[in-house]
Amino acid sequence: MTEQKIYSKVGEALAKGEFVLTGELEPEKTCDLSHTIQEAKEMAPYVHAANVTDSPLAIVTINSLAASHIIQEATGIETVWQLTVRDCNKIGLAGMIMGAEALGINNVLSLCGDHTALGDCPESKPVFDMDSATLIQLVREMVDTGSINGKEIEHPPKMHVGGAANPNADPMEAEILKIGRKAEAGCEFIQTQVVYDLDRTIEFLEGIQKYKVPIFLGIFPMKSYGIAKGFDMFVPGVDVPKEILARWKSVKTDISDKAQQKEAYDQLNYEFFKPFISELKSKNLLAGVHCMAVHYTRIFPKLVDVIKA
Amino acid sequence: MVVITTKKPFEEVLDTLKNINRITIVSCATCAALCQTGGTEGAKEMSEKLKEKGFDITTVVVSEDVCDNRVMMKDLRKIDEELSNTDAILTLACGLGVQSVIKVLKKKHPELPVFTANNTEFIGMTERIGRFYKRCAGCGDCLLNETGGICPITTCAKGLMNGPCGGMVKGKCEVGNYEKDCGWVLIYERLKELGRLDLFSKLRAPRDWSESGHQQEVIFR
Ligand code: SF4
Ligand code: SF4
Repeated sequence: MTEQKIYSKVGEALAKGEFVLTGELEPEKTCDLSHTIQEAKEMAPYVHAANVTDSPLAIVTINSLAASHIIQEATGIETVWQLTVRDCNKIGLAGMIMGAEALGINNVLSLCGDHTALGDCPESKPVFDMDSATLIQLVREMVDTGSINGKEIEHPPKMHVGGAANPNADPMEAEILKIGRKAEAGCEFIQTQVVYDLDRTIEFLEGIQKYKVPIFLGIFPMKSYGIAKGFDMFVPGVDVPKEILARWKSVKTDISDKAQQKEAYDQLNYEFFKPFISELKSKNLLAGVHCMAVHYTRIFPKLVDVIKA
Repeated sequence: MVVITTKKPFEEVLDTLKNINRITIVSCATCAALCQTGGTEGAKEMSEKLKEKGFDITTVVVSEDVCDNRVMMKDLRKIDEELSNTDAILTLACGLGVQSVIKVLKKKHPELPVFTANNTEFIGMTERIGRFYKRCAGCGDCLLNETGGICPITTCAKGLMNGPCGGMVKGKCEVGNYEKDCGWVLIYERLKELGRLDLFSKLRAPRDWSESGHQQEVIFR
């Protein structure tokens, strides 16, 4: 990222080489965002920005652009607006990108999006007119050239665009080469899928170093044993290591006092992620951390400590 | 290449034929016969089932190429008299077959309704009878030369130009409970085998839909 192009706090942190911490907000099937706003307020003092998800698992939620705007207005937190190519064609996507600028959104995360067949409107048409790489290209075209298909945009959008990567992907080489395409498209930062396997993560991050895109590592601190188990069972392709599950389980079985339990879980997360992230940071593989744990805002003060060198 | 058809539920066919007594069956002896939704056997089975329900079967035509207007013209001319004594035509063919019959009958029997007993699924590759695979959607801009001969339009659930997506787990696709291969992993493996990962690394533009327009046709003479 060159210095003259700074459109957001995330962009500024990257330009300065500051280590970035972002959180995640997941609006639900409701038009009232007060719960999400509350969480945004709780994480705001600790993060550079928070992602706002776009109907994950293809389960309909409030529109992520509208939510991003409302959350920013209500809390002052900066958002990374997640935008999938699942639900809109190029005209719709480009229109929303312009809408985002008008609404003061200056970071967008380009995602493919879970297939419509997985969600709660499986009968709806899966659009996929573009893909996550060509959406990055589209944003960059609109921002950098101030035009779309060669047609000038009177007041063009100004935003940074990121993409996703999955260090757990198998075959890994296919995923690495795919990141190369995103880099070629003009991707300004990469947010990874949640990782627990350090060796694999190192191998992957080293594999994509050549593309010179700053990496935010996706982590999922687990608030309780139930959440850890659910994550392990229901998030395809991400395994929570057995020994971690056992440690979390022992908190549940050995500690009866709720307050003490909470503290123990928080401590376990700290103990697991601190060396994990230190190792990656010492190898210069990270530009930041993206915490995907929703409804677990009390972990942020500890995370700030976790990401310190 | 076969146009793959499956049978509509018989109840649905009966519903379509409400208020109709005399039926002419036009059955396709090519693709539909292979799919066991037409041909001589299919026509016989359908006649019997309809008779059981009280319909009169005026006549049955088993034709080599229901979708070819010329063949239909010839075959329907032979039963011109019967067509004056029938209430409707039921085709055991693909969607093209139905429309071919309608087109051919337009001049002489415009009053005759033409129905289908089948659903047309896709153009398919035959492994053996009863096993057909959708591997081409006729997209009009074939990418096979760049994807190791594996079609991303039909083997990727999202028809992506730059896969695999985040829904791939150990080479399998998120759609269909991780039972089917991810099309983009197949492409990766094939290109790797061919020593052409340079093609895999290429950033591909989105598909151009500008020519996909309305009532497509190919006319070269
Ligand atoms: S890319 Fe696929 S759908 Fe398009 S013509 Fe080739 S095989 Fe058919
Ligand atoms: S997992 Fe593979 S086949 Fe399935 S949608 Fe993603 S890229 Fe396409």
